[in-house]
Amino acid sequence: MTALARTRVATAMAFRDQLRRPLVLILIVVIPAYVITKSIAQTLATPRRIGLPDGVFVTTTMKELHGAGMGGVVVAFVAALLGVFVMQSALDGDRRLVIAGFRPGETVLARLLVLLSGTALVVGVAALVTALNFSAASWVPLLAALMLLGLIYAAIGALAGALLDRLAATYLMLFLVMTDLGVVQTPMFHVTPGRFAALLPGYGPSRVMYDGAFSQGFHAGPELLLSLGWTAVLAIAVGIVLRRTVGDTGAA
Amino acid sequence: MLSAALPTTGAFVREHLRAPLTLALLVAIPTFFVLIFASVLGDFAKALGGTLMSRSATAISAGWAAAFLAGTLAFFQVSSSRGADRRLSAAGLGPWRVASARIAASLAIGTAVSAVAFGTLWLRSGIGHPLHAAVAILSFAVIYIGLGALIGAFVKGALEGSLLVLLLFSLDAFTSPEMTSSGAFAWTPTRSAAELLIAAGGGQASPAADWLGMAVVAVGALSVALAAFWTAARTRS
Repeated sequence: MTALARTRVATAMAFRDQLRRPLVLILIVVIPAYVITKSIAQTLATPRRIGLPDGVFVTTTMKELHGAGMGGVVVAFVAALLGVFVMQSALDGDRRLVIAGFRPGETVLARLLVLLSGTALVVGVAALVTALNFSAASWVPLLAALMLLGLIYAAIGALAGALLDRLAATYLMLFLVMTDLGVVQTPMFHVTPGRFAALLPGYGPSRVMYDGAFSQGFHAGPELLLSLGWTAVLAIAVGIVLRRTVGDTGAA
Repeated sequence: MLSAALPTTGAFVREHLRAPLTLALLVAIPTFFVLIFASVLGDFAKALGGTLMSRSATAISAGWAAAFLAGTLAFFQVSSSRGADRRLSAAGLGPWRVASARIAASLAIGTAVSAVAFGTLWLRSGIGHPLHAAVAILSFAVIYIGLGALIGAFVKGALEGSLLVLLLFSLDAFTSPEMTSSGAFAWTPTRSAAELLIAAGGGQASPAADWLGMAVVAVGALSVALAAFWTAARTRS
């Protein structure tokens, strides 16, 4: 069997592993749909002045802020859990594929494609539901930010899934997303993010997201670069950790 | 029965706490949850049209921390231990003793998490009615043990189960009393516990109806959890 054929088989098996559980797909649709719609519907249109990147200030409402930001929070939650458990599935099953003759890189690629597809799906649903409830000033940066948030948190989830047991990884992901995006980065509680906010992974994509939501011009170049940097570093880390873990079959 | 269940309970507790990071997170998350969310939950409630004052917001954050940790733990207790529990049951312990040990382990960890959340709450802002608040926070944990175990009884996959716990948590967060002006969906399992906790945080006593409502839901949740653990441990012929 050629490397391409093995990669194709590993990818088909990895997708089949996920599709055997239709509840996952249902929840990937239901959770963003419920949380985004409910949060926007329930929030009052109280005026709120916020700071965008590059020193731009706009006055909007709390309701609009939920419209702009809740998609990112939900995408990060779901992508992080996807990362944890796709990685756990890989640890459970892919070592056997390696023993059977597959190369670690082939199984790693298959799992990364599953993770990427799951993340793209939740981003698509979140974007659609956001669009039904909120009019962004500029959709391209907002959509890019949602995808970057999804990829960054999927990668962090995957690393947690590889290094921690499932309970600890789940706790850590839910707490990290809630703190980073739900409290530290959101302009609902701070006009601009605090001094140490830039140290957290959600800073760059959040700033791009709110810039796209409320400004027709693009002011978040450095924040976009920071987000791309996080994504690249985390993707490399996931590739290395997954390859090393799957390749470690315990053979002397 | 008790002599057999006690060592098993200890083993089940150790099973979850043998990873040092899990133990650290069980202490750190309720602490940080109360400290971080207490300062913003009042603003969040105002944005949703609620009337939650900052001292009450601090109190409700402790309940949510206990709920979130206990619910996730109970889900994983049922879903990931099914095979081992059936073998333990078949080896002579029986499904009731396995289920009792599981529920005792969940309650032990839930109580510890609630105690950390309560302690943080007390140190941060003081509590008008400490005993009321302690009971309400523990009730949050007990109710979510029932919900997590119920999800675990029906859902085997870790991803879908944890997503369901997250969905339940979101439902609770958006419909908690005083958090919203909307009365369209006014009942969630933790509603009475939340009313009680909010009142205790603000230094007020609660009416008997809230105590009764909370007790009924907590006992119901424990019964559901026991049934879920029993179903998971039952050997099929």
